[in-house]
Amino acid sequence: MATVKLTNVKKVYDNNVVAVHDFNLDIKDKEFVVFVGPSGCGKSTTLRMIAGLEEISGGTVEIDGEVVNDLQPKDRNIAMVFQNYALYPHMTVYDNIAFSLRLQKMPEDVIYEKVTNAAEILGITEYLLRKPRALSGGQRQRVAIGRAMVRDSKVFLMDEPLSNLDAKLRNQMRAEIILLRQKLNTTFVYVTHDQTEAMTLGDRIVIMKDGFIQQVGTPPEVFEMPKNLFVAGFIGAPQMNIIKTELKKQGGEYSVSPFGVKFAVDGEKGAALKAKGAKEGEICLGVRPEHIVLAKAGQGIPCTLEVNEMMGSELHLHVYTEDGTRLIVRVPTVGLDAKEREGLKQGAKVWITFESKVMHFFDPETTENLLN
Amino acid sequence: MNENKTPKRHLGLKASSAISNTVIHVLLVIISIIWLIPFVCIVLQSFRVESTYQVGYVIPKQWGLDNYIKLLDTNFPQWYFNTFICAVVVSVTQTIIVLCMSYTLSRFRFKLRKALMQFMLILGMFPGMLAMIILYRVLDDLHLTGQYGSSVPGLILVYVASSGMGYYVSKGFFDTIPKSLDEAARVDGATRAQVLTKIILPLSKPIVIYTILTAFMGPWGDFVFARYVSQMFPGAMNVAVGLQSWLATDTMTFNNYTLFCAGGVVVALPVAILFMCLQKYYVEGVTGGAVKG
Amino acid sequence: MKRLTDLEYLMLPKWNKFWYKFIMFFVDIPANLWNGIKGIGGSIASFFKAIGREFADIGKTFAEGDWKTKTSFLVMGFGNIARGQILRGVLFLIFEVVFIWYMITPFGGAYWVQMLGSLGLQGPEKGYDEILDQYISIPHDNSFRILLYGVLTIFFIVAFIYTWRVNVKQNKIAEEILKSGKKLRSGKDDLRSLVDDQFHKTLLALPLTGILVFTVMPILFMILVAFTNYDGAHNGYTNALFTWVGLDNFKTMFSWDVGGVNYAATFGEVLTWTLIWAFFATFSNYFLGIFVAMMINKKGIRVKKLWRTILVLTIAIPQFISLLYVSKMFTLNGLINGALLNFGLIDKAIDFWGDPMLARIMVIVINIWIGIPYLMLIATGILMNIPADLYESAKIDGASGWKQFSKITLPYMLFITGPYLLTSFTSNMNNFNVIYLLTGGGPTNPAASGASGSVGFTDLLITWLFKITTGSDTKYYLASVVGILVFIVVAFISLVVYNLLPSVKNEEDFQ
Repeated sequence: MATVKLTNVKKVYDNNVVAVHDFNLDIKDKEFVVFVGPSGCGKSTTLRMIAGLEEISGGTVEIDGEVVNDLQPKDRNIAMVFQNYALYPHMTVYDNIAFSLRLQKMPEDVIYEKVTNAAEILGITEYLLRKPRALSGGQRQRVAIGRAMVRDSKVFLMDEPLSNLDAKLRNQMRAEIILLRQKLNTTFVYVTHDQTEAMTLGDRIVIMKDGFIQQVGTPPEVFEMPKNLFVAGFIGAPQMNIIKTELKKQGGEYSVSPFGVKFAVDGEKGAALKAKGAKEGEICLGVRPEHIVLAKAGQGIPCTLEVNEMMGSELHLHVYTEDGTRLIVRVPTVGLDAKEREGLKQGAKVWITFESKVMHFFDPETTENLLN
Repeated sequence: MNENKTPKRHLGLKASSAISNTVIHVLLVIISIIWLIPFVCIVLQSFRVESTYQVGYVIPKQWGLDNYIKLLDTNFPQWYFNTFICAVVVSVTQTIIVLCMSYTLSRFRFKLRKALMQFMLILGMFPGMLAMIILYRVLDDLHLTGQYGSSVPGLILVYVASSGMGYYVSKGFFDTIPKSLDEAARVDGATRAQVLTKIILPLSKPIVIYTILTAFMGPWGDFVFARYVSQMFPGAMNVAVGLQSWLATDTMTFNNYTLFCAGGVVVALPVAILFMCLQKYYVEGVTGGAVKG
Repeated sequence: MKRLTDLEYLMLPKWNKFWYKFIMFFVDIPANLWNGIKGIGGSIASFFKAIGREFADIGKTFAEGDWKTKTSFLVMGFGNIARGQILRGVLFLIFEVVFIWYMITPFGGAYWVQMLGSLGLQGPEKGYDEILDQYISIPHDNSFRILLYGVLTIFFIVAFIYTWRVNVKQNKIAEEILKSGKKLRSGKDDLRSLVDDQFHKTLLALPLTGILVFTVMPILFMILVAFTNYDGAHNGYTNALFTWVGLDNFKTMFSWDVGGVNYAATFGEVLTWTLIWAFFATFSNYFLGIFVAMMINKKGIRVKKLWRTILVLTIAIPQFISLLYVSKMFTLNGLINGALLNFGLIDKAIDFWGDPMLARIMVIVINIWIGIPYLMLIATGILMNIPADLYESAKIDGASGWKQFSKITLPYMLFITGPYLLTSFTSNMNNFNVIYLLTGGGPTNPAASGASGSVGFTDLLITWLFKITTGSDTKYYLASVVGILVFIVVAFISLVVYNLLPSVKNEEDFQ
């Protein structure tokens, strides 16, 4: 149970590649923070610097107010779950979980207590005497978590723990991590490249790209107010549609006219633009696929349907407009009758319109959100 | 093996595969005979009693253990002892040194690591014999050569001292053990030393055995340096130098040929048996080493 | 020739592709050479820059440091002790005391270094003693020891300078740490870190000391010997001192006529045979080894394990036994000749080791017998690792058995074993055992017999080197020259191959 504070943390590799630039973050006690970003963005490097597995090139890392830059991993009182689990192949599950406790020279009966306890929670009691080789992926994952659990450490670090599991197991383990978190009630730092994991698990999300923090915020914050085009594109699936268009101001009211169809920007967004004093001109308009709706024939923006992906509860329609811009539209299947569904074939003409309340506006040059 | 267009051709292929397999079997038998002949001959001739020189036949006319008994009256037991002590001490110490070296180079990223490895690569391009001339003189200065009695301590010293250079194979093996195991152990509270003893070494049994085995076999085959250090004093030789000295000239060959055969068998037998028992690990090491370079 | 783009290259017919690559290799040589020189120049420049930085830093440390730091410039470890790092400080101090004591003690460091220029003044000749009226031995210098201890002392001085620098640096760091309000590491911390974050230093200490003393030092010594006249008649301590002769020995080696001996021709001849031998020894083993491995591993072959075990027997038995024995099998009165005569296949014994050509062929053939088992093992390991889907996709593409071998198996093997081929080529160049135990270098080459060590037709550079040092006139200086030349040849070949092979370059690729 501890705070973690990173101040101006920097990582430069021997070949002068800068992996992390000037990273600042305050992690509160018992908070669950997720680092998310595409591969090579420096998220794992940052985590490993907290763990002490990677030397810190600049800045300080504090755990519970103590600067730990020069401490060895073993002296930082942390626990970590690795992407490939890193179970010791020559030890049984029991010995794997007990390893850290034995290094602390704990009495064997206490170790027994703790290990069986953890095994019970994770449902791996019957495998305690097996070697990791004889376990399935999901079971190995549990052992890895068990090994981290028994340590009663201040900070719990997880480096892409679910990425080696198949989709179904991943969903299941995600739920279990939420439960685990409630039980352990400690500080978590979690690294993933999967925005769904980030959104579902994190109290706060740190979105990174090329070694820079793009945005830090709660899941609703980063979803509803993406700070820039990168965050907008990274969070949410399918990706947000980005349309180049112009912002106009007439009589104190803002409007945009993508593909020649005018949308008034009123309500909250309009007020916010006014408050910011946004200027007219080129912008990148962001519209999430779920905020595009099918309109009646002849109304709205005419498009041609290219691909129709049936996802079960919804359809993902890949369409292109008359000027060739590709857009993705998310349509819940609930609202469609059989005939309508039949009509959504490749090459079909569809008309779409936008929900203007949930549009996003970005500066095309700085890629920043105009409402920042 | 091949794609088959028609069932008929398919049958033909089956037949041709049977023929090629037969041919290969015959070839393998021939190869095996060629490979075994010298060993069979050496064993048979070591039991030959009627003459001590080379003859044009293999099967002894008169069988007996005379040659083996005669070995006891020569310096052979001393050579054997010298070599055996060398082999045992070297196999232990050399293994420790090689493992230290290869573990470090595999796991630590320190400043001069690359430079060190390149330096050793270049060092390895010098013929080792060049160093032997001077080492021999140094050992002589330290009274560790044949003329001062025993060459064993000197030999051991030199065998072991430079053995750090032969780290390639075991480093290649260590490189295949995921680094995340080290990291997990360090997070779990292990020091680097504990990582080595509790995680890496238990996982490296094959390569440890390989290293011990090759280190043990080295002294049995060393000829050049042992010859320098023994200074051809009979008591200070190892088996290789000693047995070679029996065949050094034609006259000596005439007198000692069957004796040499017996000595060869006595040397080869235990080493070969040990090797065959641990063959599996040797194969692992050799193939791994070649692949890793 | 014009450099092609990837697409243009792909359009070339097969043969043109090969020629393009071949020509481009030579076209690229000047550029690569230039890059190499630039690289070396660059690293030399950066080396001097680094030295400059060090000096600047030392000056700054002195100027800005407190009195503890300043004192440490003279008394090593003073700063450490004064700041409470007793263990480190005491070690520094001990090192300094030992160093100074060693340097100033009579016949200590100063003497050796001073004598290095002349390699000794007073020879071991007997001196005339007027009182006793006879020739007696007088105290004399020892060239061998001077060279040896001189080199060691220089090592020691370099180590001292380095340690002194570390000592200065530590003071600077300690001041910085104390300034920022943190605590210094205690002796206990230092000891603990030796099994943890500094564990590599602990592990490397012993192996590297061994390599330094027993490999680096001797090699350095022998390189220096190449510039002296150290031989059996000038051994530096019982008969005469030896001294520096500059490049004379290299001149001898490359002269056409030195006292009636043509060293250059001899060297050329031995080198040529060494390269021929290395080439055949490496590649005959390589391809035949793969061939045997493929035979054994073929589907439908029975008792695979038996065949393998029989072959492995040659590895299990110490090489000198099998080599010596086989060598004797082929002598005039050996088993082979005896058997052939008995069967009436020949009338007269064949002199396998007497005829130059035959002897050369024999060593290569017998080396195949020795070498195939290793290659068989290696090839088996690799063959099993070739991903099966490669073959499956080749089969679907309609490749025949031979096509599969030449398009998949062989390229894969060559790629994976590239570095191994290189090392096995260079180690074959230095394959002392096989040559010396089989032929002893013979038959003697009459044309070259005047050269030191009586050169034979199957002598490699390495066996020649050995003969020079053990023959009647032990010309160590000549052996050193040969050794250095071997190094140059090996290094050159390695460098060229290293630059051509894709699989040697990146060690991390395998991790």
